[in-house]
Amino acid sequence: MAATPPSTDSRRCLFFFLYDNSKVQKEGDLTRDGIYYFYPDDTPIDQQELLCGQLAGVCRCVSELSKSPVRLLRLRRSKYAVCMKDSFLWALSCVVDIPDVSVCDFLNQLIDLFCFYNGPVRQSYQLYSQEELAQRWAKYLCHLQGGSTELHNIFSCLRTIDSTHIDPLLLLKAALILQACQRCPLVLSGCILYRGRVVSTQMPPALTQKVMVYETETYSQDNRVAANGLCSSVGTSLSFTVTTQVFLTTNELHMMRCSPVDRACRTHCSQPPSRSRNSRLLSRTLSDTLTADTDSLNLEPTDCPPKSNATKPSSPRSSLSDESCFSPSPSIVNSPLNSRMNQSEYFTPQSHDHSVANGPNSSKVKEPCLTGSLTGLNTKERVAEDAYEKLDSGCSSKSISKVINSDQELNHKEKIKSFSNGYQLQSNCLENHSDSFYQDNQTDTPEGQQLNANNHTTNTNDRLQRDTEDEGRPKNEQVDKGEQILKDNVNNICNPPNAPLQHETLVDGSLVPTVLYQHRVRGLVLALLVETDFNTDPTAREEVYHSSLASLNGLEAHLRSTSPGTPSIQGPYTFTHYDCIQNTLTTNVCGHSAGPQDRAFVKATALLHSHFSQTDTLQEAIVRNASSAVYGTHTTAQETYFLQQGVPVRNSGSPDAQDSAFSLPKKARQRLLKHGVNLL
Amino acid sequence: MVFSPVLSVQERKAASLVSQRLHQHNSRCSSSRQLGLDFVENQIWIRTQWIFSALQSNSYNNEMKCLLVSNEKAEVLFYWTDSEFEQHVQEQYGHFQEEGERLPAFEDSINTLFAPIIISGSTMVDIVGDSYTSFSTENNHIYVLHQFDECLYIAVNGDGEETEEDLKRKIYVMKKLTEVMFGMVTLSSALLRKELRPQDTVQRNRLWQKLRGLLETYSRLREQDQSFLVEAVERLIHPTLCEQCIEFLERRVVQQINNSVERAGEEVLHAFILVHTKLLAFYSSRNASSLTTSDLLALIILVQDLHPSKMDLDDGAPEEMENSSVPDVFYTPESSPLDRESVQARGESPPVFQFVDPDIQMAEDSLKTLEVQTPDPSAPSRVFLEATLKNEGFFPMMPHSMYCLPLWPGISMVLLTKIPDSHIAMNVYVYLEAFVKLEKRLCEGQGAATRGQPSIQEHRSKLDRFIRTLASMDIQTTQLQNAWTDFKNKAFTRSGPGFTKDLLPSCRNMKTQLCSVYRQCFAAECMSSSQRLPPHMQERALSMVQEKLMDWKDFLLVKSKRNITMEFPGLIHFVYLDRSGGQMIAPSLNVSDRTASELGKGPLAHFIKDKVWGLVATSRRYLQKGYTTATIRDGDYFYCYFLWFENESGYKLEVIDIPSLPEDSAPIGMLAWDYYRKLLRYYSKSHQSEVVKCYELLTVHLGVIPTEYILQHCSQLARKLWEPSRIPLL
Repeated sequence: MAATPPSTDSRRCLFFFLYDNSKVQKEGDLTRDGIYYFYPDDTPIDQQELLCGQLAGVCRCVSELSKSPVRLLRLRRSKYAVCMKDSFLWALSCVVDIPDVSVCDFLNQLIDLFCFYNGPVRQSYQLYSQEELAQRWAKYLCHLQGGSTELHNIFSCLRTIDSTHIDPLLLLKAALILQACQRCPLVLSGCILYRGRVVSTQMPPALTQKVMVYETETYSQDNRVAANGLCSSVGTSLSFTVTTQVFLTTNELHMMRCSPVDRACRTHCSQPPSRSRNSRLLSRTLSDTLTADTDSLNLEPTDCPPKSNATKPSSPRSSLSDESCFSPSPSIVNSPLNSRMNQSEYFTPQSHDHSVANGPNSSKVKEPCLTGSLTGLNTKERVAEDAYEKLDSGCSSKSISKVINSDQELNHKEKIKSFSNGYQLQSNCLENHSDSFYQDNQTDTPEGQQLNANNHTTNTNDRLQRDTEDEGRPKNEQVDKGEQILKDNVNNICNPPNAPLQHETLVDGSLVPTVLYQHRVRGLVLALLVETDFNTDPTAREEVYHSSLASLNGLEAHLRSTSPGTPSIQGPYTFTHYDCIQNTLTTNVCGHSAGPQDRAFVKATALLHSHFSQTDTLQEAIVRNASSAVYGTHTTAQETYFLQQGVPVRNSGSPDAQDSAFSLPKKARQRLLKHGVNLL
Repeated sequence: MVFSPVLSVQERKAASLVSQRLHQHNSRCSSSRQLGLDFVENQIWIRTQWIFSALQSNSYNNEMKCLLVSNEKAEVLFYWTDSEFEQHVQEQYGHFQEEGERLPAFEDSINTLFAPIIISGSTMVDIVGDSYTSFSTENNHIYVLHQFDECLYIAVNGDGEETEEDLKRKIYVMKKLTEVMFGMVTLSSALLRKELRPQDTVQRNRLWQKLRGLLETYSRLREQDQSFLVEAVERLIHPTLCEQCIEFLERRVVQQINNSVERAGEEVLHAFILVHTKLLAFYSSRNASSLTTSDLLALIILVQDLHPSKMDLDDGAPEEMENSSVPDVFYTPESSPLDRESVQARGESPPVFQFVDPDIQMAEDSLKTLEVQTPDPSAPSRVFLEATLKNEGFFPMMPHSMYCLPLWPGISMVLLTKIPDSHIAMNVYVYLEAFVKLEKRLCEGQGAATRGQPSIQEHRSKLDRFIRTLASMDIQTTQLQNAWTDFKNKAFTRSGPGFTKDLLPSCRNMKTQLCSVYRQCFAAECMSSSQRLPPHMQERALSMVQEKLMDWKDFLLVKSKRNITMEFPGLIHFVYLDRSGGQMIAPSLNVSDRTASELGKGPLAHFIKDKVWGLVATSRRYLQKGYTTATIRDGDYFYCYFLWFENESGYKLEVIDIPSLPEDSAPIGMLAWDYYRKLLRYYSKSHQSEVVKCYELLTVHLGVIPTEYILQHCSQLARKLWEPSRIPLL
């Protein structure tokens, strides 16, 4: 299922490849063995080999000379953003018009995206075939290139719904749904998407971007579970949930786990302004739509509910008035809200019992899965066969048979399963050192899964149930062994000695498995990043599912009935407003059929954006040629570009106070107010 | 690296000599480096360097700069590195602590390091048809590559002080300097290779030292001097004195020399007086072609290389001017006796030290490479400059002799003469051009080009005659004659291939042989010692001008620091440029701790200086993309940049859309590649009836000043500065 290449207009990537130097060491080694992925895939292999061989060689030579990896490589007619990590080399080329900063961002996003869904690269290539991963790379590339205008090539921004045509109350409602979900302490952060566009998000833009990848695809294929989906699928064709194994960097995870106060402090104190773009977490909808009560909203007390404080009286629920939107299940009321500690205490005795009771059984079933996940390809086949048997005999449910269309996909599923189990292990092992109650959580896994199965997956038979239980509970020695190997793996993959500083995913090295929970209601998707325990905690699942179901249905109905809206307000001017924090773009430039003035505008914008990104202190600039003048202004939070249309007054270009170009800032301030852009 | 600070007696002796060297070298450039040293000397040198770096650690910051010229076979034709880069390379290759093990020649190391990049580059050209232009790494090292014909230039920066654009500019300037030094020899890559890389190591090192000196001088000027920042000539604004000097140069210098019978065939075409890098007066004789800004700037670099004036941003202290018997000493304490020695060694006498120890004798051969050639003060430098002659047309690289006569430290007079037989150069160029055109047509497969054939036919008899004339002048013409006979046989006889691609080798051979004859006649090393203005004539000219300017000397030196002052409150700095004349006016930027300028002193002045340098880079970036106006609010400052056109009477012409240049275009400026000349030609297409002039204004204001006032002031400034810029150069 190859991704369709985007039209050449919007295509910003000319070539992209992932090359493994370690595969090509000796004289006789073929360059093609080192090529893991090459885009476009119809490139003749000779040319692939040439490009990869030359670029990898020259980059290694330069990085040895400078003792630092190459970041950007320019040719006369194109440029390559480069990422060198371990023996891997990623290179992504663009036409020279696109600013350096945009190309490098693009490559970083692409790699981050891959790691988000697949974990560390080396390991992914041990677990999955190159063909499978090629499809994913293609998908991610396609997703990132999906912007509708050339401006999206400059600003790697999120696609959002056009808030100007939507009742603000709907946005508020979306925000409230997300907040309600967060009453479940296992929920880290969430976002709501409608037809591939963001309605409301609590996540940092980079994460929202990642979460959206499969949304478009899932949306278009309606009932199909996303290719990378894991575990169960529930409900009718109109409404069902999917959970997917994903990987967060420790930074991302930490940011979502920590309390809002800490976060506010950190973003203000320790983050340089230029960096804040990817790391600040703001609730878009609330700050956008509500005008009253701004003071309290700025604090965003409900953005990330305190999870470690059991006695905190002001639960988000108490502050909500729109109770009718939610239909909280009894479990919410009964279970100890917002208290991880209580919860783990609650489950601990039971899980210990389980652990003892199912010990021998677990060891038998567990082994292949564990080794499969750890040693990768060697045991993959066996695992797959084993799993196939299990599923074939045990599973007759519609929801699962829908998922499994072919042997290939089945293999794939099982591999993911084994892989994810391995990774759950890893996370637990890692967390054992830092946080004692995580261990308790881990041990309650089987119980959770059982409950989960009972409550949601009604058609799943007993055997499958038991297997899943067993997989979650390895023997101690295996844990130890696994821990060691995984640690080594993690060290090798994520923290190689002398690793140079890279972008976020690669820098802090450790990728922590987390779960992406998606609840779909027709075109609407509620996506939540949840702790791994969420999968096995039936109470939590139920709570989240039921608490949001009705409101999601309502929101979907409202959004569906909203007309797509007329194009943005056209005026005698062109503008673009980029929100650096939320990574969103507001513009009245539409589509590719841009006129000469739009092209002039985009060109100037690219140039100014590039300049702004290099110089923090730069506040505003006007650039002018004979046919157009563009005004750009920049703060740490936003960038705005403005062009007054029409034939400019004839002038000489010599300094002249009467020159109309210099009145652009004033005009921009006036005109853009009605677009909600405040430049004052 | 751990070196024992305890040196043997022998080593100490040698070290003191080497340290003398180092000082000497330090006085020319901020970094110390030597090359091709033998092991023993290396030991000493490294130890000495270690001691030095321990003493003055601030002069060894992490710079890592390099410039390399290589051909397609990855053979090093020239290189320059700073000490940091050299150390870095040695760390990768050398185990110099281990006794008895020879360090591979530094040149070889460099070659090995860069060869993969160079070879990969040419592979990419062959197969993808695209070539590398730059690399940047995570730790902000930048590599810029540029190919001129068969020469690949690579410039590296590791300290973040130079941008990609700066490195590209450096490469273009390097190319320009080789053209000024070697002329049309640069058109034949085979000959250029021989020229840049003489077989004889002594000769090679002498040449490379010269080129390195020029490159370092350029880098210093670009970093410190506004006129090299914006690449336009700055003039001292004193109309009366300027006029008097021009008259003096005309009557008492140029006319007197040209009327003398003793001038040995030399004819002074241009004479000018420089105060540091600023032009006081310029006179061209009537039948001379005008000197281009590009050439004038290149000549200033040559002059600064010969007589470096301590005109970096922190001088101007009066005591220094009085102490004029001690020429400029850089980066060394003035009280040190060593410095005087080194200055003498460099300036007047041959090196004073010799190694006696047999161990050190080993290094003698390589030491020779360090020897400074005994300078002959009356010997001119050979320079190749552009000439556009009224009747004969355009000649890009005509041989001239340059006499650089130092009046006082910081003030020099330069005479540019036309040399006898320079008509040979014109002939060679005409034929060379014909063969280049033919080659191009043959390559394009135009075969027996209808236009090409008559062109060469036309030249046929002339070329026959030209070769006969050359032979009669005792010039080696055998090879040219053979090549020509071969060409004629192939091109004009029935048995030959005629004007097809098969003629290409003969055509190329003709080019090479023509360049070879040109080299024989004009290359600097082939200059006979008699071919110059007699020393006493030079001395007389010098003393006359000295006498004339005696009373003005101190004034001029001060004036060169305070050329123009500012009156507008809130204006921090400006640069006004007349691009048609290649001139600039700007207040001085003194970054000295001793003297305060309008900018105050110390860190603030440094800050402003950096801002101005940044503004110039930014404005060029926008201009490259076709924007002729830019205003920028950056921190507490407000910058403006304007480019506009006027006719001769000062009427401002309407702005037009100017082309947006591709990313890999030559850097905008006037020194290595004259962007503004091209721009003016482009603009003139739509204004053919009048003379078009091009101006630029850059300003830095305080950000608190309202924009309206700033713009108003910019237009006042442009009006006011227009007058001084109109004082003609001649």
